[in-house]
Amino acid sequence: MIAQEQKPIEEILGYLDGKQKVVVMGCGGCATFYHTGDKKAVKEMSERLRKEGKEVTEIILPLGVSACEIDMSSKYMEKKRRAIENADALLMMSCGDGVQVVAEYIEERIGATIAVVPANDALGLVGGGPRKFKETCQMCGQCELGKTAGICPLTACGKGLMNGPCGGVREDGKCEVDPEKDCAWVRIYERMEKLGELEDKFEVMREPHAWSRAKRPRLFEIEEPVKPVSAILGSLPSYLTLLGGPEYKEEE
Amino acid sequence: MGDEVYSQLMKELSEGKFVFTGELEPEKAGDVEEPIKAARELVGLVTACNVTDNPQSFAYVSSLAAAYKIQLETGMECIYQLRCADRNRSALLSDILGAGVLGLKNILALTGDHVALGDTPDAKPVYDLDSTTLIALIRRVVDEGKDLAGNEIHNPPKLHVGAAAAPGAAVLKAELAKVRRKIKVGAEFIQTQVVYYTEVVDRFFKELGKVDVPVLIGIFPAKTYAQADFFDKYVAGVDVPPDYLQNMKETKAIKDKEKRKEEVDRVNIEFFTGFLEHLKDTPAAGCHIMAVGYPRIIPELKKVME
Repeated sequence: MIAQEQKPIEEILGYLDGKQKVVVMGCGGCATFYHTGDKKAVKEMSERLRKEGKEVTEIILPLGVSACEIDMSSKYMEKKRRAIENADALLMMSCGDGVQVVAEYIEERIGATIAVVPANDALGLVGGGPRKFKETCQMCGQCELGKTAGICPLTACGKGLMNGPCGGVREDGKCEVDPEKDCAWVRIYERMEKLGELEDKFEVMREPHAWSRAKRPRLFEIEEPVKPVSAILGSLPSYLTLLGGPEYKEEE
Repeated sequence: MGDEVYSQLMKELSEGKFVFTGELEPEKAGDVEEPIKAARELVGLVTACNVTDNPQSFAYVSSLAAAYKIQLETGMECIYQLRCADRNRSALLSDILGAGVLGLKNILALTGDHVALGDTPDAKPVYDLDSTTLIALIRRVVDEGKDLAGNEIHNPPKLHVGAAAAPGAAVLKAELAKVRRKIKVGAEFIQTQVVYYTEVVDRFFKELGKVDVPVLIGIFPAKTYAQADFFDKYVAGVDVPPDYLQNMKETKAIKDKEKRKEEVDRVNIEFFTGFLEHLKDTPAAGCHIMAVGYPRIIPELKKVME
């Protein structure tokens, strides 16, 4: 999920300077997970904006739906179409992707030109929980994990080296940049040692990473369009297993 | 690796001489007068000098420009340090070709300290290549006349490439595997991080195993107690012996400047005589003396090896 935290309120108010009528929109995906765009966060933000003299004309809460899944989240927006058209700004409580997807929809599909401003800072694709999370993948487009014992050095190494460790490893195997973080290459070494891959994989040079696959902005198209309803239905058997139902079996 | 020798450094190393190299640091300035002055003092004392590339990620005069000027004006052969922290593979290639054009003969390929530790911490760290792939790039340019993408290079430069090693690395086995990797891709000489303990040197050579490239052990005779203390406290993988530190500390109490200098020299000569004597019984091919601005100590150190 996309880790995120709310920006300082002064910064948010700065973006809303001179904008009186504001629509506040949350996100039912990662921003709900990280409490930066859930019902409570949106409510608290609206109260704060009112205290600052703003007119919060509408709240949009795409419950259970990520704002970036615009095919679904737009259904919530369409219900508040008039408020969006009449607003001076929409404060988007999601990651930067949600901000831009929603702004594009408002401009192109609703036909309104209003400022869509961010309330959050996105901090990366992370895993873990329930309290501590770690960034492990930067979605570079050319996965190197097969060469590095399943630990991504582009992300886990402070320098993103394909052939570490560097000379800056601390006494306790931590990174020169941040004593809180493990040296990724010491981890890779130890994991390869356990896997018996040291000679074959550690001492050989990995070619420089091919950054051409991360040429931004990346556009992506799939043959079969996203169908949220069938995706939900497709997941049902595993939910049932989780709830104590029959074990999911691959169909013959 | 080709057998051709393009530099005095590689010539002396291939002849089996015990080689001393020094170090010069360009500054944050619009000129390179200081390192040129320092180079003049080292001519005849060392075979070649490293010219540092933004050490500790503090941005200084380009090591390429500095190495060129130093070599031109003093005749001191330079080992052009080139780090991956600030340049992508295209810029590195441009600088490698530029080094050849400017008459430089040796490059030390480094990853480089993280930019967040330097004086411009908001800079974007590059690390498109690392020390290993930079060595591979240089060898491909020199040996095959091609860059990493396979593009042909007309009239490729004749350069030697060296690598760094950290004998005191916290996780030595991983460091040594990396050093062997750098040798495999074509490093022609090794210069190590500063070492003060002979035990560290011995363990390094023993665990590295037999390698067919010359290794120059890094030493740092400190000019002041503060320098020695800095290495001990802040440089990863470097421990300074307490006795040496204590002896250096005691020189601070000497009021008379000349007498203090004499005592500092005495402490260093005593310590490093033992250290260098020990090196004679190791595979070390030379010594990389990183004591910037302390040339008067070098003749004393060289005497030990004669």
